[in-house]
Order: sequence, then structure tokens, then C-alpha cells
Amino acid sequence: MSRTRNDGETKQALHQVVDEMYTKLQKGETPTMTLPVRTKLNIGFDKNLGVYKYGKKKSTRDASSLGSAKNLLRALHMVEFIDEMIDNGKSSTLREMYYISEGWGHGKFSTQNESNNLAEDLEIITSSMREDFRLRPEEDGSRIIGNLTINELNRRGEWMKINARDDVGDSGYGVPYNVEKEKIQLVEHDIDFIMAIETGGMFDRLIENGFDEEFRCGLVHLKGQPARSTRRILKRMNEEWNLPVVVFADGDPWSFRIFGSIAYGAIKTAHISEYLATQSATYLGVTADDIVAYDLPADDLTSRDIEALKSELSDPRFSDGYWQEQINTMLKLGKKAEQQSLAKYGLDFVTDTYLPEKLGELGLA
Amino acid sequence: MSIAEKMASNQKQIAISEFFEKNKHFLGFDTLPRAIITAVKEAVDNSLDACEEARILPDISIEIQRVPKAKDQLILISKDNGPGIPQKSIENVFGKLLYGSRFHAIRQSRGQQGIGITGVVMYSQLTTGKQTYVKSKIASESTAVEVKLGIDTRKNKAVKYAQERLIWSENDTIVEHGLMIKTQMKAKFQRGSQSIVQYLKMTSIVNPHANIRFKYINSDGELEINEFWKRATKSLPAPVKAIKPHPHGIHLGQLQRMLKDSDERKLTSFLRQNFSGVSTRAAKEVCKTASLSDSAKPKLLKTEQVNSLLEACSNVKFLPPPTNCLSPIEDLLIKKGLSKTIDSKFVTTLTRSPRVTSGNPYQIEVGLIYGGKMPADQQVQLLRFANRVPLMYQQGGCLLTQSISSVDWRQYGLEQAGGKGIPKGPATILVHLASTNVQFTSEAKEAVASNEDVMQEIRKALLELGRNLRRHMKKKKKMAKAQEKFDLINDILPAIAEKASTLLKKPIPDLAATISKIMNAVILEQKTWWDKDTKTTRINAKLFNYTSRARSYTILMNWPEKQGAKMIDNDRGGRKETVGLWAWKLETLQPGENTVIEFGLDNLEKGDWTETEVFYRGSAEVIGASKLDEKILEEMKIQNSNEILKEMEVEEIDETISNVASRAKVSNLTDEKLHKESYQTTLFDRGEKDE
Repeated sequence: MSRTRNDGETKQALHQVVDEMYTKLQKGETPTMTLPVRTKLNIGFDKNLGVYKYGKKKSTRDASSLGSAKNLLRALHMVEFIDEMIDNGKSSTLREMYYISEGWGHGKFSTQNESNNLAEDLEIITSSMREDFRLRPEEDGSRIIGNLTINELNRRGEWMKINARDDVGDSGYGVPYNVEKEKIQLVEHDIDFIMAIETGGMFDRLIENGFDEEFRCGLVHLKGQPARSTRRILKRMNEEWNLPVVVFADGDPWSFRIFGSIAYGAIKTAHISEYLATQSATYLGVTADDIVAYDLPADDLTSRDIEALKSELSDPRFSDGYWQEQINTMLKLGKKAEQQSLAKYGLDFVTDTYLPEKLGELGLA
Repeated sequence: MSIAEKMASNQKQIAISEFFEKNKHFLGFDTLPRAIITAVKEAVDNSLDACEEARILPDISIEIQRVPKAKDQLILISKDNGPGIPQKSIENVFGKLLYGSRFHAIRQSRGQQGIGITGVVMYSQLTTGKQTYVKSKIASESTAVEVKLGIDTRKNKAVKYAQERLIWSENDTIVEHGLMIKTQMKAKFQRGSQSIVQYLKMTSIVNPHANIRFKYINSDGELEINEFWKRATKSLPAPVKAIKPHPHGIHLGQLQRMLKDSDERKLTSFLRQNFSGVSTRAAKEVCKTASLSDSAKPKLLKTEQVNSLLEACSNVKFLPPPTNCLSPIEDLLIKKGLSKTIDSKFVTTLTRSPRVTSGNPYQIEVGLIYGGKMPADQQVQLLRFANRVPLMYQQGGCLLTQSISSVDWRQYGLEQAGGKGIPKGPATILVHLASTNVQFTSEAKEAVASNEDVMQEIRKALLELGRNLRRHMKKKKKMAKAQEKFDLINDILPAIAEKASTLLKKPIPDLAATISKIMNAVILEQKTWWDKDTKTTRINAKLFNYTSRARSYTILMNWPEKQGAKMIDNDRGGRKETVGLWAWKLETLQPGENTVIEFGLDNLEKGDWTETEVFYRGSAEVIGASKLDEKILEEMKIQNSNEILKEMEVEEIDETISNVASRAKVSNLTDEKLHKESYQTTLFDRGEKDE
């Protein structure tokens, strides 16, 4: 992802967090850390950027209880750690930082989730990205297959040209965690659109059926809720190559959320939505209507599914008519269906019938 | 030996083998792991009983050796410092079924499990062909005697082989008196909840006056287990007295036998002489109810007359039987026993007053320990005892288990599905039933039979433990809250200040004002610990005023005054609020100030006092202490003065009138009517009326 700040600015922004605590202590008050509320209650549509961003609601974490005081201490240790990395030109993974915190005494993390969340908190407070902090995820990006060519800077510092159809095996081109221009260049393509696919099973089915060539598209495997780098490369292909992006996922509440994070931005990363969200992405299916229209084998919604759907009804990202209708239809049906339930009509049904019909509606086939 | 003799002997052998085979389940030899436990049990029970009778503090050691190269063979060596057995009695003690007088007397006894030590001798001989080695020393003789014993299966009695006299010394000291048994049997050594270690551990809990050692040597000759449960008290259990049967607990056969054996000429005097709790008036009433003449000759009663006599016995009211025949362990000793054997954070115990059910006196004792290293995600461990004997089998079918299962433990902080059944949690629950007549479900004597009275009594006792546990947990929670605050201001906040200053390259700010703001409370930090060097219990309480206002308090702490503890090194002085409660009026504490109260407790042993409760008088809340409830304090004061009164009176009564009424009645009344009426009058009224 693009560096939003130079090292000096990053350090300064981080030191402001420290300064907030120090000043409070000096005044004889309880140290605090102020950050935006990170729930759906505090995301709003940014007209200029066309994505959902955090609103103005702030929450204050103060040192009046043991738990949050420890959190402040951890933040200080993290700032020190980032300072040192910047000064020494090093970087580390989030997991490495979690283990390094073993030496932070009372400030050590008890789970990696804690350290990941705090890293995100600092990103948001300082309007930086974790790359600015020299922190990288160990999550790997997705796989891509299709007639598109990418230039990637390899470990030896040489640019390597890779065609995601001719130069790769069946598993496709693996997207690295950094997909910014200094690492990845989009060279050329001969396709009409990008299809992002939720499950590996369906991704492999389409490849086996030669769907990418027949329908002139690039296939991207999302691996469930997509990593930052996956969303970022989708956005770059969409913007730089001007290619439409369609999302093909399961027909359940969680797939809706996957689409939401691709098209509008995720709640957890709303501070960097403008880097990650592909506003023009379209949800292809499986829709609630498809379950009925194609008479798909469906499972009953669980109580957790229903809860998730109801929560989506009040999620600003799903406030438009299309989504309200889809969510309500699914609630009324009480059913959900997997992508692979299309196999009911045979292995080729998805590539011969379902996708051409759905893409036809969008004018892509 | 002639062929005929051999055959006869073989037949007898077969008969005895058959006897064992048929009855092994209640003899305790039905499985190989159980056989060794039964053998240990018989040996230990005998030792404890002998020591108790001879008023000797028992030192018992058990050693088990795996016999190398033999499949499932163990050698058992049991040693005690009991009175020993005179040379001429050895054959009888070890060789006769049901030897001894305990069988007929009505009093609390460990009771015979199976057929006693004879069974062990027999079992060893039958399974390995080996004789049992016995060494005995009595105080009045200068040498010990050692014999090898076998059972003559034809005559069904013990036979002595090589008998010798010798000087018995252990660790270069001559043994004054004691008994040693060594025997080899087919058996299997096991670990776990039904093991010798568990059995001895449980035995040690309910026999806190005994030193018990255990060694296990494996087939490679290595010492694999070496345990020592040290005695927690030097006072022996009070000697138990035999009592006459009570008419409410009599059975037909017993009554017939008593009538047959009686010398009395009149039925009324028979009843008065042979039963407890029968006054002249009551004896007359029985005769009237049974439509029998007062002067009917007991020996000549016909069966239907005995029947109506028995029925009358169950319908007429009598004085309760005396309960001084019971020997409870007493709650403080259970507490000691429990805390020395199981590592825990909290122990609560209770001994209820004796009660009577169908003419049998009984008494319930319970204990609960919580925390420590006990697993939190498993069922609590149950320790069941009847007359100081651990019950290790048939847990599910036992009244003691059912009583525990019937309590809704959820309200007291233990997990329990649906509010019944054995609860889950890091706890152990102990129930001891002491009675002159423990009813078991079967001859195996491993499960107590149902009895509504006893069950209710156990429940009452358990509920009280439950309440104590809940109180403890509440307190622990409060302490945890206070502890968090301390961690926050002592560790985290200074770390924040230091890190922030380093990062900004600025001086470390003063934290006092911030600390007051964060705490905004008065906090008491209290510790109770055992000081090894001085062998005293130490108590330290530190009171911090983290508010912006000056505060003044009186701090009160409980201490085990009644248990005979002595308060030492109490430099802050203070005064006695009531028995077991000391009060310190403190000077006004300014914002940010703190003060310390410290003292020691002498005359206690390690583990006697591990938790001190702290109370306060004052307007603002103190985290880490409870506000003193003045009403409860008043009640405590009244109760304490009554108890002192009671002790004085009980002594007087014991001296002047013996046998007037049971002590159970005294305790029952004092428990229930303490504040309402003087039990002394009641006691005399009853006594006079009934005499």
C-alpha cells in the first residue's frame, strides 16, 4: 500500500499519542488515548471518496481500569518498537511483534488479536498505515488466473514479468502482501472483467472448465473475507485497467459482508477505505433470489445467520434498496445456499448456464 | 498324611475357597486391586482401634512390595506402635472368624469390614500358599514374639509355625510395644481414586491423631512412593462408651434374644434395665399399649406377645438415647486433617450436634475445601466416611453422596447441571456419619442406606458450608478488585509514566495526583501468613487513603481467640470488641497517606488460621474490608456471653447430676433456643418430669 507519510511524519504522529498520555499525567489526570469508535454506528459515506469512512464519534480509553491501563502501556511499547524499526530500517510481521512483546513486562500481549487490534488502533489514531509502521501481516493474499501480465519486484531486486495465465500453474499467481507500485506493476491484459470468487472449490471449478478464457476474464480467489492486499489489487486493476469487478460468493449473510468490504470498505479498516474499496464492484450472486429462481439446495439459517442479517439491515453500507430487499428476502426464505450448490445440475451448469445468465444481465456476456 | 486325610483337607480347602469365592464381594477380595486395599484396611483399622483402646497415639506404617518375577503378587508389611498382642492371643486374633467383643456392643466402632484380619491371612494362604508373619511386643514383657501363622483349613483355626522370642528394635531403638504383620498375596497395586494412597489419605483426614506412613516398592526394588501424613493433633479421640439399645431401634430377633436372656421378673423392670431412655412411666405405658401386664415374666412371653411389645415400643415416646457414645472428629481437627492432605485456599468444616433416628444416636460432620491445585473442570471429589472409616466404593448408591447431590450448589458458586447431582469445581466435600448403628445398603459396607432424618441433617450441614463458601468467594472477588487497583497504581501507571517520558525525553511526572484520581477510594490491603522462623501466624493490614478528603476509621479484625490463640506483637494496641474480634481506632488519614496494623498470633500451628476478615467503622467505603454490621455484632456479643454461661453450667450439671438427660438435648436446645429461654430450666424440668 502506498506510504501515506514519510518516516518523520509517522514518528511525529505516534509521539502525539504519547504526548496525550504524558500531558494528562503532568496535569495529575488519568492518562488517555482517544480514537474513533470502531463499530457500524460510526461509519458514514464519504461523498468525496465514494467509500464508507469512520465518522466523528470518538472513544477515550483511559488508565482507570487495569485492562485499559495495560493497553495504554502496550501502545507506548509499540510506539517505541516502531520508532526503533524506523531508525534501524527494519520491519517485522505482526506475529513477530506479538512475540517480541514477551519482553515488554506488564505491557506484553496475551493474544495476537490484541496486538493486531492495537496496531489498527494506532493506524487510525495517527492516520497512518501499518506499512508506515514497518509492520506486515503474515496473511497471504489471493490467487489470480487469467490473461493479465504483472511486473513484480522479486527478492533479488529484479523486476519479473508474470502472465497469470501462461507463466503460472493451476494454483495461479500468488498475490504478495505488498501490492503497491514499488512492488507490483500492472503491465497489460486482454480481458473484459475481473471475477472475485469466495471459495477455492468454485475458483478451481471455473479454471477446470476454462471459464477465464471462454469469457475473457481474470479470476481472483478471495479466500473468505479478503485480505487487505487482495482488496487493494482488485481496486488497482479496477482503476488502472478500467475493468469491471464482479463478486461471486455464497448466498449467505457472511458473503454479503465480504462484498461490503470489497465495494464499500470494511468496518475494521474504514480509516483506509479509500485505498481498499472498489466502489463499482457488483454482486453477481448467489443472491437470495437465485435460491428460489434456480431452486438451489439450501440450508436453514442458523440463529447466528439471522442475527447477522438483522445487524446488516441497520448497517449503513447495506442501506440501499437492493441490499435491503436481498436481506429481507433471505430472512423471509429462512434459507442460505453455497456457491457449489449449483452442482445440483451438473458440474458444467455454473459455467454453461448460471454465470452466462447472470453476466448477461450485467452486459458482460 | 493319609490319602483320606489329604482328601478331607482338600475338601475343606475347597470349602474355604468356595466360601471366599461366594462371598468375595462383601469380604472385599473380589478383584486384585481391591484385595490389597482390603488387606491394608483391616490392618490399619485394627491398629487404630487397638491404639484407641490403649490410649496410645498411633504411628502406623504400611509398606507394599511388588514381588519380582511373580505375576500380581504383593507383600504387605504393616507396623504399628499399638499395645501389641499377648503371645497366647495371637492365634485367636488372626485365626478366628469374627473374633472380639466389638461385635455385640452398641457403640460407635470402626466396625468389621468383612471378616477382619483373619480374612487377610486366609486370602494370602489361598492365593500364594504363604504363611503370615506376625511380630508382637507387649509392654509388660521384655522380648517380642514372632510367629508364622497359617490357617488350618480343616479346623478353621490358626496354626502357629516357627515361634520365637527376640529383641525387636527399629532404627537402633528397642520397640516398647507394637505389632508387625508381613504377608504375601495375589493382588495388584493401583493408583487413583480407589487406591491405597487415597485410602490412607482419607484415613489420615478422619484420624488426625495418627501418624501414617506409606511406602511402595516396585518390582525393580525401587522406592516409588513415599508418603507421610503427620498427625495434626496429639489428643486422642474421646473414649466411646457402650450404651444400651433404645426401644425405637430394636428389632424382633434382638428383642426375643434379650427377653430370653433376661433375669428380671417383671416386664417393666426388664424394659427399664435393658434399654436406654425408658423411665418407669414409659415402661408402664409400653405394657399398657401392648396389652401386657406390668408384671409379665419376660422370659415367658409368646411370639405374638413379643410382637405387640415391639409395636408398642415404636409407638410410645421415650427420652432420647444418650449420645456421649459418639466420637465425632470435631470440626477444627477435620479442618487440620483436610488442609494438611489437600492443598487448597479455603477450608470450612462443621460438626453438627448429635441427633437420634429410630433410636440410634448419630452425628454429622462435614467439610469443604476449595481452590488450590484441584481441577476446576471436573466433578468435586467426595470423601465419604462412616465411623472414621473411608468409604471408597459404590459412591452413587450412598446416602452421603445423595445428600451432596440434592443440594443446589450453584447458589454457592459451584457449577452443577440443573442444580442437582455432584457439582463441578476445584473443591472436595467431606461427609462423616458417626453412629452407633450405621445402616449400609449391603454387607460390603461401602454405601450408607437411605434415611430421611440423616439426609436432612447432612443437607443442613452442607448448606451452612455452602454459605461459608459463598462468603469466601465474595470476599475473594472483592480482594481481587482491590488487588487490580494496586497492580494498576504500583506497576502499570509508573511504567506508563516512565515509557512516555523516555519516548518524549522529558522528566518523569509526579504521579500522586493521578493515583488519587484513579483510585478515588480508601483501600485496605491485608495479608495473613505463617512465619516459619517465629512459628507464629502474622497478620498485616495496610490502609491507604486515595481520596481527596481526610478520613478516619476504626478497623476491626477477627482472630481465633476461642481456639486458644494468643495475640502478640500488637504494637497498635486497640481493644477487644467482643470474643474473637479486635478493634483499632485509627488516627485521621490525610489524602495520600497510609497506615499499617500488624500483629502476630501465637499458640497456633501452621494452617490453623489462613484467612482474616477485616471490618471497618466509618463513613466512606473501604475496598478490601466489610462494613461492620452493628446488629450482627450485638448478636455476637450476646451469643458469646451465653456460650461462656453455657460452659459454666454444663460443667456444673455434669458434676451434680449425671445421667439426667442426653447431651444432645442440651446442645439442641442451646442451638435453637439460645436467645429465647434459659435451657437450664428446661433441662431440669424435663429431667424431673421424666424421672
